[in-house]
Amino acid sequence: MSDMSKDGHSRRSVLKAGGVTTAALAVPGGVAAAAAPPEGTAPASTAEVTLTVNGRPHALTIECRVTLLDALRERLGLTGTKKGCDRGECGACTLLIEGERVKSCMTLAVMEDGREITTVEGLARGDELHPVQEAFIRRDAFQCGFCTPGQIMSAVACINEGHTRSCEEIREWMSGNLCRCGCYPNIVDAVRDAGNGAGR
Amino acid sequence: MSSIVGSPVPRVDGRAKVTGAATYAADAEVRGALHGLLVLSTVASGRITRIDTREAERSAGVVAVFTHRNMPRLARPEYIGFLKGFIPVQDPDIHHSGQPVAYVVAETLEEAQHAATLVGVSYDARPPRAVVADAMDEAYVPPPGLSGPNETTRGDVAAGLAQADVLVDVTYTTPMHHHNSIEPSTTTADWDGERVTVYESAQGGHATRICISEALGVPPGNVRVLSPFLGGGFGAKGPVWPHTLLTAAVARELRRPVKLVLARAQTYTSHGLRAEAHQRLRIGARHDGTLTAIDHVSTSQVTRTEEGVFSQSQSSRILYACPHVHVAQRAVRLDLPAPSFMRPPESVGAFGLESALDELSYALGMDPIELRLRNHTAVNPETGEPFGSKHLLECYRRGAAAFRWTERDPRPRSMRDGDTLIGWGMATAAHTAGGRPGAGARVVLSPAGKAVVQVGTHDIGTGTYTVMSQIAAQTLGLELDDVDFQLGDSDYPFAFMSVASATVPGVGAAVNRACTTARRSVIDLAVTDPRSPLHGIPAEQITAEAGFLRATGDSRRRERVRTVLARHGEPVEATTEPVPIPPGYSVGAEFAEVRVDPRVGRVRVTRMLGAYDAGRVLNRRTLRSQALGGAVCALGFALTEHTVVDPHRARIVNPNLSGYLLPVNADIPHVQALFIDEPDPTSEALGARGFGETPGTGMTAAIGNAIYHATGRRFRDLPITQDKLIRGANTL
Repeated sequence: MSDMSKDGHSRRSVLKAGGVTTAALAVPGGVAAAAAPPEGTAPASTAEVTLTVNGRPHALTIECRVTLLDALRERLGLTGTKKGCDRGECGACTLLIEGERVKSCMTLAVMEDGREITTVEGLARGDELHPVQEAFIRRDAFQCGFCTPGQIMSAVACINEGHTRSCEEIREWMSGNLCRCGCYPNIVDAVRDAGNGAGR
Repeated sequence: MSSIVGSPVPRVDGRAKVTGAATYAADAEVRGALHGLLVLSTVASGRITRIDTREAERSAGVVAVFTHRNMPRLARPEYIGFLKGFIPVQDPDIHHSGQPVAYVVAETLEEAQHAATLVGVSYDARPPRAVVADAMDEAYVPPPGLSGPNETTRGDVAAGLAQADVLVDVTYTTPMHHHNSIEPSTTTADWDGERVTVYESAQGGHATRICISEALGVPPGNVRVLSPFLGGGFGAKGPVWPHTLLTAAVARELRRPVKLVLARAQTYTSHGLRAEAHQRLRIGARHDGTLTAIDHVSTSQVTRTEEGVFSQSQSSRILYACPHVHVAQRAVRLDLPAPSFMRPPESVGAFGLESALDELSYALGMDPIELRLRNHTAVNPETGEPFGSKHLLECYRRGAAAFRWTERDPRPRSMRDGDTLIGWGMATAAHTAGGRPGAGARVVLSPAGKAVVQVGTHDIGTGTYTVMSQIAAQTLGLELDDVDFQLGDSDYPFAFMSVASATVPGVGAAVNRACTTARRSVIDLAVTDPRSPLHGIPAEQITAEAGFLRATGDSRRRERVRTVLARHGEPVEATTEPVPIPPGYSVGAEFAEVRVDPRVGRVRVTRMLGAYDAGRVLNRRTLRSQALGGAVCALGFALTEHTVVDPHRARIVNPNLSGYLLPVNADIPHVQALFIDEPDPTSEALGARGFGETPGTGMTAAIGNAIYHATGRRFRDLPITQDKLIRGANTL
């Protein structure tokens, strides 16, 4: 309790939180459940941000600690972007910010206020798939499909970056995206196909 | 005749997967779902002496904190799908590091994550035991497990070894592994009164239903498990693990939906693992290469609460003709999380056998393929019964030709490119694929001529949606687009877990049976109806193909299936019950080329090739991907993957993807897969066998054998990392 006061929370919120906890514990065999979230007992700094996702602006009031990935998945319901490791190791959460590939688990949502975010949901034009998406289907460049949104977003960027001059180069520049099903050779084929088709 | 089965059609779920529309378990939109988070033990053995949740409970957004004091009491499921010997958060006992000790529930994920750091736990800890080698004196043979006995004997091994002209006596060690599917295990439980819907990352939705039912004491019919898409499992999500049961219990207690997604690090202790294994192989042979005896004794870890052994030495038992065979799968009890099966379960034993055979081939001065040809068996040597089909000789022949094996100089260190050492190695791939409980199926043909086929199975990335749609369309005589194959719902007919290459033989057979029955019903409707051009023709003389029923011998007499159904005006249904599936055995020959830089001890795998007998090929596109996956998995086994345990604290020190190294794209060369494509006459799945496990069984040894061929050094402790190579670099 005293620790909390030192953190600068209001006396009222501390008392409220404590009171709720005590009451709940008094129920024999009951659950230590709080009836309502106590106010101000955690880092609560929030910010107003506008995330422009796939061309559509979303105004959010969001805690500063929320990653872009969790903001998309848990706040905006855009679940195409996947969480595999939450620490930048697997690449499943890769998306584009202003055309650059970014691991959205390593990015706080508040850092991307006003910037142009593209997720896997934003690639197709209506029923018409993006050439990378088509190539992934044609080359069977996935099995379970969980790493696929990240692979595809990485592939789009890889092609735009011009890193598709050889299979070796594609392998190197697609190595930030893990695929446990082991579809790597097919991913290389798909990226090469899509890269060639892009008319470079 | 056009055939849908055998055609390499693109995945029917491909569009959903490339657009982000595929809903994996954690993608389910469940209104009002709270976020759960596990708090894990930091000691490996002992008891909780004090657990202080007050600060966590006061933290913003926290709805509840459950510990062993207030977690609802759960019954340990008896069902075989529950491997754990206990349910955590029920008492203060600690059996392994990373065991759940508290379950925090909050309004948001961030609030739960923060609150979880505020739970204070004190332990009375005992020094744990974490090293297999330290416990070898206590090794014992556990009682029979899910895959049968742990010790088998054929003939007289001592006599067989005595008859040998050449004897290989070698020991291999392989480390602990983790499945590391990119999707972490996840559960969302949503109760409506006494009924619960569970969005689960499951390879066994029915197993999950049964275990939740048993643990929480609710009728199985009240539990519905949904898993329409699975982000990889590799065995981790076949069995049911405690976090699933705890989430269901917590959600019921709170009367609110609760969503739990394991953090990557938590997956290392919350589900199974592949046990560390020490294998001693003694193999005797005559000068002509004929095997006289195989004695294969493996020792791997179990725990003090579980004793299942999941690294099966099937290859030593049935892959080769050998009169005297002894296989023992011993165990030692450590204070670590429970082992389970991991893709492919038989790969550990296969690595031992196929490496030892390679060593034997050098001892004999014989080509390693020739050695295997001389010990080929067309029958199961344990039963004397023929395999359903086994075109392994053809696999060796075609694989060797495609790899240009005859150009290999057999002498170690003989093939070079400048300073780079080149090695070629091979091994036999083999995995059982069947012998499991099988599946049921339901098919409904609508008056519009469309078929809905349902099985409570899973597409774990293997292509189940696609190949089952193909089997259904072919059997019903419809176009592929007219079939909607649905899975991943435990309200659909029972299917055994999607594990052990059992899905195609089990589910494929069920779909075939149900659709055959439905097709016959449609034919009967036509031939008994005076309005049909097929009226009066015996049903046996009608075929169904590409949307038409036709009279054999008179192709002008035909009628659209859709027309028959429309005239009938109501759905035609058929349902089949599960039938156990016969044992299957899918085999192949696998080849690897490595290039070793002797200065820095770096190994690059530059070619991988497999020639396989998977029975009839249902879909070459998806089957080939399974072969690639097996090769990539095996490369990780051979070169990069190991779970490292602190020997003093029994804690996993690399529970992440930067310390546990999965192969990345740049590690993987061109991979070639060839298929014999001959139907297995014993397979009800139109001649196809299960296959997914097979390609991962031989390639690990093939890579190790190639490294020996390149360097002249045999690495018997996996993974073969750069430090091991460089330790003797001056001799390379």
